[in-house]
Amino acid sequence: MITVLAMAGASAVAQTDSATEARLDSLEQAWARELNTVVVTGTRTPKLLKDSPILTRVISETDIRRADATDISDLLQTELPGIEFSYSMNQQVSLNMQGFGGNSVLFLVDGERLAGETLDNVDYNRLNMTNVGRIEIVKGGASSLYGSNAVGGVVNIISREATEPWRVNVNARYGAHNEQRYGMTASFNAGPLSSSTTVQYHGEDSYDMKNEGDYSRYYGGHNWNFKERLTWKATDQLKLIGRLGYYFRQRNAQETTRDRYRDFTAGLRGLYTFSPADNLEVSYSFDQYDKSDYLTVTKADVRKYSNVQNSGRAMYNHTFAGRHILTVGADVMRDYLTTYQFADNGHRSQVTADGFAQFDMNFIENFNIIAGGRYDYFSEANMKHASGRVSTMYKFPRVALRASYSGGFRAPTLKEMYMDFDMAGIFMIYGNPDLRPETSHNFQISAEYTRSLFNFTLGGFYNLVDDRITTAWSQALKGQVYTNIGRVNIAGLEANLSWRHRCGAGTRLSYMYTHEHVRHGEPYTASTRPHTATIRLDYGHKWGWYGLNMALNGRVLSAVDVDEYTSITSYEETERVHYPAYTMWKLLLTHSVWRGVTVNMTVDNLFNYVPKYYYSNSPTTNGTTFAIGLSLDINEFFK
Amino acid sequence: MNILAGVSAMLALSACNGIFEGIYDEPEADAASDFGFVNTPSGDEPGVIYIDATDYTLWHYIDFESMEVTALPTDAEAPAQWDVAIHRYDAKTNGGAVCETGATSFYSLRNFVKPGAEAYVEDVWTTSTIVTDMSTMADGYLGYAESYYNAELSRWLDVDKSQMPPIYTPSNKVYMLRMADGREAALRLDNFMDASGVKGFMTIQYIYPYK
Repeated sequence: MITVLAMAGASAVAQTDSATEARLDSLEQAWARELNTVVVTGTRTPKLLKDSPILTRVISETDIRRADATDISDLLQTELPGIEFSYSMNQQVSLNMQGFGGNSVLFLVDGERLAGETLDNVDYNRLNMTNVGRIEIVKGGASSLYGSNAVGGVVNIISREATEPWRVNVNARYGAHNEQRYGMTASFNAGPLSSSTTVQYHGEDSYDMKNEGDYSRYYGGHNWNFKERLTWKATDQLKLIGRLGYYFRQRNAQETTRDRYRDFTAGLRGLYTFSPADNLEVSYSFDQYDKSDYLTVTKADVRKYSNVQNSGRAMYNHTFAGRHILTVGADVMRDYLTTYQFADNGHRSQVTADGFAQFDMNFIENFNIIAGGRYDYFSEANMKHASGRVSTMYKFPRVALRASYSGGFRAPTLKEMYMDFDMAGIFMIYGNPDLRPETSHNFQISAEYTRSLFNFTLGGFYNLVDDRITTAWSQALKGQVYTNIGRVNIAGLEANLSWRHRCGAGTRLSYMYTHEHVRHGEPYTASTRPHTATIRLDYGHKWGWYGLNMALNGRVLSAVDVDEYTSITSYEETERVHYPAYTMWKLLLTHSVWRGVTVNMTVDNLFNYVPKYYYSNSPTTNGTTFAIGLSLDINEFFK
Repeated sequence: MNILAGVSAMLALSACNGIFEGIYDEPEADAASDFGFVNTPSGDEPGVIYIDATDYTLWHYIDFESMEVTALPTDAEAPAQWDVAIHRYDAKTNGGAVCETGATSFYSLRNFVKPGAEAYVEDVWTTSTIVTDMSTMADGYLGYAESYYNAELSRWLDVDKSQMPPIYTPSNKVYMLRMADGREAALRLDNFMDASGVKGFMTIQYIYPYK
């Protein structure tokens, strides 16, 4: 049912894309799309975006195309304020989303979590934007549905469903530093069977930065991504979806060692509809993320890390009186980890199990309440945790008011419990089996005004986060030890305005203010920038067989002053570091030259911003760059 | 909890610990078990010296005549006979001098024309190069041993510490060592890691005597 309704949403998008014969038609289609966008992340059941009490931001397939993004980090930074991807040690990518780090934001692909992490972040390069139907972002805690890691938000990447009888798209992009991207998607629908196959290659050279800094050279590399998705409608009631995936990335940081990352993924999902009011979903998912060193002298590829997750889920939905939906479900997952960061390259595993229930109530007209809870168990720490949610929405003709409480938590990982790692002879890092889970309580309110193709949303949030898990120096052990640290309160405001005009022009302005509360007299160690904004101006027009779309995307990030500890062994002295403000702009011209033939021209870093000093949170740029791309929808040639 | 234990056992029977292990190389199978002079030169083929130089507190003294490698603490007296010594990636000579050639293999060394004495670099005394204690780095300083040090031969591996972790770039060059008594040897750092990629294991190719 989820997939069927998701297909309806994707279909609306596809229809909108092709209906560009007349501006008015296009506008009406866009309006229909806005009204009919279906989301699944907030409730795990399909729900119209406009009817969901859980505020969900959707990045559509069209948005993805207009952002010209290769992977999720590119896209999220372009589309959302309050998001910053920077570097941690060894140029590993690290997320900050409204004050939450990478391990407090849960990334899902079609609702399934990802194995593997590096310095507390999943491999964002894995999440490429080829054949993505839409991305749903739910901010705040969501552990009542998704369990651990859904502390600060959930990002769900949803694959595009094949709706045409057949479709073949090939695309290529060439940019600065020998950046090359090639992609291919082939899909078909034949009776009960449909398939979608995607291959993408992306590579770029290493290059030196223009000025000195925390990093002086960008490490290039290349990656391959392969995805297959097969759907079989066995009967009117039963639908089976199988998927396979392979990902390979090589990073050229060292001449003698190439960092390699691989992922193998597979899954099978069965959807059975007993009646219009009852359906069951059962799924199995496998995900294995490996890291290895390819030693160029001996030509040996030596694995040093493997995280294997096997998970199963069953979920049942029952609709009462045609309008109240009860969802109950359970997951079980086995998590296996072997890593060079364990003593003697050892391994650990644990089983997690949970049960959850959610009730979507519509007793009073225009008033919707969703309440849910989940209970999680982790075998290794013998730890149990309960999470809850209550979300409400009241709808006036043009205004929707939402208020929500949601709980989030993050269980200590196997790495955090059992690490025993010698950091280049400098110090040891030790795990801690006695860690408590990190918890959060999130409160959100928002008001949304919609009129025709004008939408304005204003919201506020307050997060109480306790028992955060981090490393701290232990004088007794002469090393870093994972430990729970005190409470932090994060508050913020978000405003979002989007507007489409009948002449073909569109605007989206998003602003976010984030404040991490620090008790008086304590150092301000949070590196979250208080003010951030994203801006998009676009214009599209068609003259006969030629169509032009111009999109200007901008990011504005304020400066932030951070108190940083001068020593890793004592927390007495700090120094204030100023991270400067900057803006980054990208101009994309999309020419529809002939049916199915599209030429993209991109100017990145339009105003030639070059950091005077490359901090770990400075943009990796040496100035303005250009890229050109070509996309061929081969099936369109035969229409 | 019995159900969980059952599920756990069931899952453990399947491919729960991962698949495709075979695509990787097993370092144990390739690992060199011998240290010291593991191969002697034959024709154009160089000999091989393999040293575990992971310990920051040791100098490894190499004597080409006796083909022996002796490990001694950095603060100990050097042995009676030695020609070149290795500490991590650092090198020193026993009163000798070193010249970097343009050759990146012993085969191309055939075209090497020996330069004059001025091209050879002698050791210098240092108090801030030979790191013996990394553990104090967390407190903002390092422990050093006082020693002679040959900067020319140590160019066989450039360690750029301007960012963490450092960037290691081998020169791949062959170095000519002229000893105090006029004997000569040709040396090349072939690898600074073991089969698993652990740094500090030095595979040194050599030709001795070089004529």
